[in-house]
Amino acid sequence: MMGPEVTWYLIVASILFTIGALGVLVRRSPLIVLLSLEIMLNGANLALIAFARHQGDADGQIFALTVMAVAASEVVVGLGLIVAMSRRRLPLDVDRMTTLRG
Amino acid sequence: MTTVAVTGWVCLLSPLTAALLITLAGDRLSRRGAGYLATTSTFVSFGAALVGFMSLLGDNPEERAEVTTAWTWLKAGSFEAGLSLLVDPLSMMMMLIVSGVGSLIVMYSIGYMDGEDEERRYFAYMALFVFSMLLLVEGANLVLLLAGWGLVGLASYLLIGFHHERPSAVAAAKKAFVMNAIGDATMALAIFLLFWKTGTVTFSGVFDGVDGLSNTVVTLAALGLLGGAVAKSAQIPLQTWLPDAMEGPTPVSALIHAATMVTAGVYLLVRLNPIYEQAEFVQDLAAAIGAVTLIVAGLIALVQWDIKRVIAYSTMSQIGYMFLGAGIGAYSSAMFHLMTHAFFKALLFLAAGIVIHALAGEQDIRNMGGLRDALPRTYRAMLIGGLALAGIFPLSGFWSKDSILASALAGSTYDKVLFVIGLGGVFLTALYTFRMLFVAFGGERSAYAREHLHDTSHGEAPFSMGAAVAVLSVLAIVGGWIQIPGLWHPLSNWLDPVAEPLVEPSVTQDWVTSLVSMGIALGGIWLAWLIWSKRTVALPAWPEARRVLEHKFYFDELYDQVFYKPAVAIARLLGRSVEEPLVAGSIDATVSSVREAGRASTLIQTGYLRAYALALMTGLAVLAVLFVAFR
Repeated sequence: MMGPEVTWYLIVASILFTIGALGVLVRRSPLIVLLSLEIMLNGANLALIAFARHQGDADGQIFALTVMAVAASEVVVGLGLIVAMSRRRLPLDVDRMTTLRG
Repeated sequence: MTTVAVTGWVCLLSPLTAALLITLAGDRLSRRGAGYLATTSTFVSFGAALVGFMSLLGDNPEERAEVTTAWTWLKAGSFEAGLSLLVDPLSMMMMLIVSGVGSLIVMYSIGYMDGEDEERRYFAYMALFVFSMLLLVEGANLVLLLAGWGLVGLASYLLIGFHHERPSAVAAAKKAFVMNAIGDATMALAIFLLFWKTGTVTFSGVFDGVDGLSNTVVTLAALGLLGGAVAKSAQIPLQTWLPDAMEGPTPVSALIHAATMVTAGVYLLVRLNPIYEQAEFVQDLAAAIGAVTLIVAGLIALVQWDIKRVIAYSTMSQIGYMFLGAGIGAYSSAMFHLMTHAFFKALLFLAAGIVIHALAGEQDIRNMGGLRDALPRTYRAMLIGGLALAGIFPLSGFWSKDSILASALAGSTYDKVLFVIGLGGVFLTALYTFRMLFVAFGGERSAYAREHLHDTSHGEAPFSMGAAVAVLSVLAIVGGWIQIPGLWHPLSNWLDPVAEPLVEPSVTQDWVTSLVSMGIALGGIWLAWLIWSKRTVALPAWPEARRVLEHKFYFDELYDQVFYKPAVAIARLLGRSVEEPLVAGSIDATVSSVREAGRASTLIQTGYLRAYALALMTGLAVLAVLFVAFR
């Protein structure tokens, strides 16, 4: 069971991660920010699984499963917040939610 | 344990138990109950002392000292101080006086304090006071003596400041405590010195070791101990607390003056006579302090109008006689005067308390006047006390004061000078005592007295007060008869094994002194009668002299200038130049720098989610680069 070298997987993972990170940084809609976060998590998951295969070890895969579970819960909370905000007709713009300014 | 030892412990612990019980019982004990409990406990003490006395009387006169140790109290290296009591003729005599007169005064308090809000607290303090004094006189080593010494100071502080809602009472209590603390400090230093040089703190050990010490050491130690005695006994120059201590309730004054507290200094001089005899200079100094105090206090008493203050100054003056006696080595005479003084001074205070009670708290003798008809029994009691104080035959003061003066006459030239001063004191004593009596009881009733005098048809005082005064009246009359020159002297026989007298007056000297001093006392009474009763002799109007006396020889003002003002000035200066810039300044600087740092760090908290995300990412990127570069 030979595939491409582990390096290729890592390159794809880091590209995914960077795309996600840029999405978090540049987009202002909380929905898109949440989506970008998911992409970052998936980049990390890919790296974990690639290493797990490289090492011939199941630990990384289990980690990836855990990350998915956490990501799912996080999406539930995040989407819940976004729904609540739109119900109150609050602007869906992360730059205008600055209540925590010191 | 022998009977004597058991009675010593019972005598000591009974008032302590009462004090603890009253404190712990709180509301469960009625106010009256607290009074009864305290009174019972002091009477138990007195009973125990009596039993111990009887048992001691049966012993061989040379073997009448018993040391009993409960347990070793302090132990460090070679230092060892046991919780041990010494019951010997001297401490037995003090135990009898303290518990006997003390219990009468506590009993009197039941009537006097009736209706006060905090009777329980009062009686707990009174019992504590008696316990402290008993510890002081029964302790078998210098450490226990010092412990009792300090506890007496504490109890007096609590009782003088009993009316803590009155600022003057609080000030008087603090003054008494501070003055006494000076004495405690010098005394503690002296005890350290004695322990350092002799290696022990028990009386017998120190007395054995004191012979081998250099003159300087003994003189220093004796001076320190004298400082304690002077402070506790209110002698010059540490006397100013005593008149202010009149802020306490009247029975407290009686207790301080008669049974506990001020007599402690005399006890100390007599108890530690082997040390003082090694330091002749200090002994002479003690006698001189006594002589000066007895004249100064007598003069000040002449211009006081507060009935309690007159009696307070008379105490200072009488303690002066005792210091004089102890200083010239007439130990048993000093103790004899201590005993009779306890009787007639307690009598005077308690009778004055009845007068104050009857006049709704008035203490100024100018507002009394003509009380002889209104309070005939109290008048008689005061008269007995006054005559005993002035030293008129055959009342108790006559025998004891003259025994001190006769010893002075029998001594060296120095002692003879003191003798003359003492005779001057006799004149002053008679003068101020009868001034008080004539002004307060003689003449016309003042407007104030007519208005405020209680109805006395159902008796002048409650039973407990009347009974205490009656017993003390009898004691003030007969108390001196246990020592009659040339006839019998059981008291000197009793005390001489503990404190061998240095001077022994002949019978002739005794009787000559008695006649002369009584003549002088009668002269004083006669003059007082002319001035304040008959008013045929006008007082010489020396305004300067009067002003000096009314300011009590400016001692308070002097201490104010010499100690209080400079201390306050130094404190202010240090406050301005050290405390404010350094201590408070550094704290202020810390506070403001923390606040500034906090304010600066809030700038980071923009509230922009993307700014936080950027910070996270940047950090991650930097870490990743570092990780790769420095692997």
